[in-house]
Amino acid sequence: MKKSLVLTFVLVFILTSIPIVRAQDTTDVGTPRNETLVVQTFDRQTTNPDMMNPLMSSFAVWRGFRELGTGFLWETDTGTGESYPELAAEMPKVLNPEHTQFRVTLKKGIYWSDGVEFTADDIVYTLDTYFKLKDKLTWFGVAEITSYLKSYKKIDNYTLEFETNNPAYDFSTIMGVATWASHWIIVPKHIFEKQADVSMFRFTNPVTLGPYVVKSFDPNGFWQLWQRRDDWQRSSWGWMGEPKPKYVLYKDFGPEETRSLAFIQNKYDVDTFMSPESIKAAQAKNRDIKTFSATLPYHNMDDACSYGILMNMQRAPLDKVEVRWALALALDLKSVGINALNGEFKVSPLPMVDTKILRPIYFAPLLPWLRDFTLADGYKPFDEGFAKDLAGLLQQTGAKDIPQGDEALSTAFGIGWWKYDTAEAEKLLKSVGFTKNGDGKWVQPDGKVWQLELVIPGDWNKVMQRVGFSIADSWQGFGLDLKVRQVDNAEFGNVQNINNLRQAELNWTNCIFNPNYLTSWRTIRLSYIKPPDSPDTNTGNQYQWSNKTVDSLVQRSLSLENTSDEFRAMGRQIIQEFVKDMAYINIMNIPTTIPTNEHYWTNFPHQDNYYAVPYTWWSSFKKILVSIKPTGQ
Amino acid sequence: MGLVQYITSRVGAYLLVLFIGITITFFLPRMMPSDPIEGYIAQLQSQAGQTLSPEALESLRNSLRELYGLKGSLLTQYFSYIKRVFLTFDFGPSLTAYPKPVSETILTALPWTVGLLMTTTLLSWIIGNLVGLIAGFFHNRRGATVLEVLGVVLYPIPYYILALVLILLFAYVWPIFPLSTTILPGPLTLEKIGNILYNSFLPGLTLVLAGFGWNILGMKSLAYSTKEEAYVTFARLKGVPPRAIMTSYVFRNALLPQVTALALSIGTIFSGALLTEVLFSYPGLGLLVRTAVGNGDYNMLYGTITISIIAVATAALAIDLLYPLLDPRIRYR
Repeated sequence: MKKSLVLTFVLVFILTSIPIVRAQDTTDVGTPRNETLVVQTFDRQTTNPDMMNPLMSSFAVWRGFRELGTGFLWETDTGTGESYPELAAEMPKVLNPEHTQFRVTLKKGIYWSDGVEFTADDIVYTLDTYFKLKDKLTWFGVAEITSYLKSYKKIDNYTLEFETNNPAYDFSTIMGVATWASHWIIVPKHIFEKQADVSMFRFTNPVTLGPYVVKSFDPNGFWQLWQRRDDWQRSSWGWMGEPKPKYVLYKDFGPEETRSLAFIQNKYDVDTFMSPESIKAAQAKNRDIKTFSATLPYHNMDDACSYGILMNMQRAPLDKVEVRWALALALDLKSVGINALNGEFKVSPLPMVDTKILRPIYFAPLLPWLRDFTLADGYKPFDEGFAKDLAGLLQQTGAKDIPQGDEALSTAFGIGWWKYDTAEAEKLLKSVGFTKNGDGKWVQPDGKVWQLELVIPGDWNKVMQRVGFSIADSWQGFGLDLKVRQVDNAEFGNVQNINNLRQAELNWTNCIFNPNYLTSWRTIRLSYIKPPDSPDTNTGNQYQWSNKTVDSLVQRSLSLENTSDEFRAMGRQIIQEFVKDMAYINIMNIPTTIPTNEHYWTNFPHQDNYYAVPYTWWSSFKKILVSIKPTGQ
Repeated sequence: MGLVQYITSRVGAYLLVLFIGITITFFLPRMMPSDPIEGYIAQLQSQAGQTLSPEALESLRNSLRELYGLKGSLLTQYFSYIKRVFLTFDFGPSLTAYPKPVSETILTALPWTVGLLMTTTLLSWIIGNLVGLIAGFFHNRRGATVLEVLGVVLYPIPYYILALVLILLFAYVWPIFPLSTTILPGPLTLEKIGNILYNSFLPGLTLVLAGFGWNILGMKSLAYSTKEEAYVTFARLKGVPPRAIMTSYVFRNALLPQVTALALSIGTIFSGALLTEVLFSYPGLGLLVRTAVGNGDYNMLYGTITISIIAVATAALAIDLLYPLLDPRIRYR
């Protein structure tokens, strides 16, 4: 009896072990592994996998459409922040001194994936549809484009002219790509004009302009497979070169626990937002797993947006600049970065991201001013040695791979931040009537304990959740009676946009990717200020910041060429006002972690092999696809 | 009480429960501190890199309110909702996947939930009760103690830990099963059935192991106490074989409460198995509900919660109607 049991067990074990020795030569969807680039989905599961109609917002946008399936008149190089022609033959020609009329010439020889040529008719049709059905279409750009354009007309199959309602110095970004997304996506006229109701049309397995077509997808929304077109040269970005992977698979590999195992098993090639600990654990098991840089912070921190604390400046006591500065100075950002992010972060004291693009224009010129900047009591809050001190702390914690030299430290960890000085923070609070009670809690001038609520994302954004709790630790240590409230993403949006729901919220904003700060700041106008307890949604001025100087600067900026020195000088003045008022406690560039597994594909962008930023959901992915090489595994 | 009266009263109570449940379902999400329009707008702002103008946002807000059917008073919306649900079982479009109908999304996810959870619920019930019966009937024997310990050990293990251990063992150390589910599209062929079974085995195993510990302990306790009943003692003294006593006397009577538990378990499977779906990237209703809650998608919540209410109420009704057949004592009351 026992013998037969043992034999049975051995047999079962052998039989079930057979899959172990099976060659790992196909993906989970059956394509050749060495011809498929496999990417972890940005959003895990999409609820609308068969919706591929870009006229409606619910289309499965995170399944690679932006990178692989569409084309834009002008794309943005995410490495330089500059626009370049993709479907257009050149940058738009300005036809009048008022900057309201433009001529656009299209490239010839671009074809939809079903063999029909892309022409001006597709553009006219798309815009006609936007205007006629703007109350039915939910794509976010429909309202934007229809209020931006006054008229448009086809001159010939490859030439159009446009007129805008107002002087436009951002035509190539509004009608092309600004940061990540485009306000409009061109649809094929020959397909859509046949539909009875384009708002209900799913456009499943669409005709595409990009070099890939949708080969198959999971009806439950966990994966989507793209296949390279045979005529990729005739696609919107075929002129860039041949995309190397024949297939690109976007797939969800589960929560981080299972994802890291799949990464070790070489099941996929690119991850997004894996935690530093999981990356290190995976690297310990598989040497093919790499990060952007061999030194801290290991990852490219050039995301377009930054994290920071959005405060309701209309509501006491946050209406006092002394209180806001006290919060900034009571925040031990080094500890936050080490505890929440293992030191893998890059700070930014200014209300924008510190990147290769923006540093020379906004950060470097303001450095002397930051050094000399004082608060009302003469205190100088700027800490230029932040990066060096952080490196020292990291060394004490046993961290390796710390960059050497001031230049390298500044590039890695940022140009500096505010001093962590609780004594000065106390002094500021006391100067406006605050005291500390017997429990060590701060009490307002009216005798009530200052209870501050900090809203942070729940586990739908684990990185911000960790940062938020760490910030709370810092402030609670300072004596704030702080309540941290985690919220789901729908409520998060409400708190961000409705005054009576918000005291302070850790959010991401200031998505100023190229030097045109108006993309984020053009609504910082007094006219958008609402009362502190308003239950209505804010329609502009997300900071709810009442500053006449800034209002005037923004208004004047609107009539300037955004590449001009004058425009950029105004941007620096706006930044100075941000700092003086501490209108937004900007903390860090979004710490984007994008590890790669180079078992099947190599030549991903790295710090020592830099040809694109490593983001798979930006235009840079196009450069990556033409540059990576199969390893031959 | 006559049979007709009994059935009528039960069905009447069932319909009342449905009506009250569906009404509460309508109002509850409205009390959430999230507005689906604002949540959606915040997501769109994020997609647009915060570049949308105030005018564009306001226009979008108004369009969405109109399209989502969120204009008009709450009472107007409620009556429109009750009419649609009871007459055509139409929950409207999903607010986050507009204009996709909620019923379509639910019907895509439902077979996965029902297939996985029905199978695993039945399996863990059958296996658990059989093991529990043996453990309870032969409680003096060492083997029975081992079986009881199995139940005691498995039952308190948090599902998440159990699932991760099994994933580590059978998808990583011995990579027999996949780490994440990949169901290939296409018609239901033999190959696809094999693909589904292969991808569902590990999630299913975790659910069976997580569930049958409870059944072991429950049945063991019932079997032990039933074994001490006078009629069982009488049967033993009469010389009825132990096997017959175990199955016809003890099991038959101890099973009654477990049948009730099974019926209610089957009712609750329509809520999905969120942790399983998250861990294994397995399709189902659990993730749908979770996403709907996070996004404030009222219509999706109405649809998924209503399905759950109908399932549990129907299970309870089925038990009420079937119990007299299972327990003759109730028939004669």
